[in-house]
Amino acid sequence: MRMKKFINNPDDLVPELLEGFALAHQAKVALTGNNLVVRAAPKPSDKVALVTLGGSGHEPALSGFVGAGMLDISVPGEIFAAPGPPRVLEALRLANREAGVLFVVLNHAGDVMSARMAMDLARKEGLNVKQVLTHEDISGGPRDNPEERRGLVGCLPVIKVAGAAAEAGRTLDECLAIAERMERNMATLAVAVSGATHPGTGDVIAEIPEDVMVVGMGQHGEAGGGTQPLKSADETAEIMLTALLDDLNVKAGEEVLVMLNGVGATTLMELYIVLRRVRQLLDEKGIALARSLVGEYLTVQEMGGFQMCLARLDDELKALWDAPCNTPALTVS
Amino acid sequence: MMESIGYDDMVRMLRSAAEAVRAQHEMLSKLDSAGGDGDHGTTMLRAMSNMEKVIAAASTPELKTLLHDVGWAILGVDGGATGPLLGAFFLAMAEAVGDRDALDARGVASLFAAGLKGVQEQTKARPGDKTMMDALLPAVEAMHAAAERGGDIQALLQRAAAAAAEGAAATAAMQARFGRARNLKEKSIGNQDPGATSVSLIFKGFKKGIDAHA
Repeated sequence: MRMKKFINNPDDLVPELLEGFALAHQAKVALTGNNLVVRAAPKPSDKVALVTLGGSGHEPALSGFVGAGMLDISVPGEIFAAPGPPRVLEALRLANREAGVLFVVLNHAGDVMSARMAMDLARKEGLNVKQVLTHEDISGGPRDNPEERRGLVGCLPVIKVAGAAAEAGRTLDECLAIAERMERNMATLAVAVSGATHPGTGDVIAEIPEDVMVVGMGQHGEAGGGTQPLKSADETAEIMLTALLDDLNVKAGEEVLVMLNGVGATTLMELYIVLRRVRQLLDEKGIALARSLVGEYLTVQEMGGFQMCLARLDDELKALWDAPCNTPALTVS
Repeated sequence: MMESIGYDDMVRMLRSAAEAVRAQHEMLSKLDSAGGDGDHGTTMLRAMSNMEKVIAAASTPELKTLLHDVGWAILGVDGGATGPLLGAFFLAMAEAVGDRDALDARGVASLFAAGLKGVQEQTKARPGDKTMMDALLPAVEAMHAAAERGGDIQALLQRAAAAAAEGAAATAAMQARFGRARNLKEKSIGNQDPGATSVSLIFKGFKKGIDAHA
């Protein structure tokens, strides 16, 4: 079956989507250089800059997090594929400043490789860049084997708190420490019910049989095991939350943030139903749902399913989470 | 006997590699559909046309500049891990070739060995992990062995192409331990790795490019 998507020549997907994205959010973002997404109003140069990279086709991620209080520059790659080191280096050069650059990288092979090469070149040029790697997908492997864990929607809270710290004038080392603390204290699990189409190739990725759901899918529906009969919202919420609480070892009396990220075809209606059950379960365990965020932040085309991200909050992280931001995908006032 | 190669030969090899990849790019994407997201063929196509563009635009016939520009052009492909890995291969070759304008058989073997080392600096993948390494490593080793036996450059490239093809074919029986396909675990067995297949096509192209002119 031919894919049903409103696109033109598949070769032009990325430039065309970026053109429209920048137009739709022209008060907040702009395109510069070789399709780098930057803030419409640059942050003062005495403050730490945040840069990230990642494949396209996941809108609004990651360029949707560019703006006041979050990212300074995002380097969008091809569909589901990391940008090459030359453009990443271009972004690091553009962001470079005395205060330093915090470089947020999601743990995916291509992203990590491209980031490392760009970092090596940046260091040779004397750029002041430090990297934080997000790898919070608990389906990848145990907590003590972070290399196997992919970076999913947890990049959002990391960018949010580190971005707020940067905006508040904290040093690069302080921003890095905050980002790493957020990273260590979060865990994500994904569930998928239906696959997606690669908009460039028309290939169906992650075919999921009827009447089943797959717990532990990666960003692009890479198979991750956990295939089981489709369950209700309440049962699914419990399966996922239990696994996340176990992984993070959250105890009664602690405060958490829960993010429910729809990946494309799953409706807000469903996510709200799930969130309500998450709250009930947390109440039963004496864990406080201090903050929540529900919506589409990192999507995979028309894939059905969602990512549940659980993060342990302390007072500082909570204050940084509440700090104002103004980006295409997230606004806090 | 082909005793040495220079700039023009290298250009022929590279162009022929691009042709070999282009002819098979749909097959590469199909292989990628099994474990990845089905775009390896288009990524390779972009890498090869980037390469051809810099070859066409080259103003000085120096091996070092040629290999460096090709490496950088391939790095510039926004296609995940393929760009950095393949780009690193040519960048490391550029560094190794230095100011030489011609290479004998041993020189060619050590040039490719340097390229392999450049790739190994980017990835921890080893033979058996179902990656491009399963084609690249045997190809480079075959070149080295052929050079040790006193083979000429045609012999080197012939052995390398055969070893790469064999290595790529062997990936079908392997379980992926790197890249997206590793998430499939044992389900990844049965499909030939697209990255290894690309490498074998490139080596096939190298051989053809030299044979056609020898």
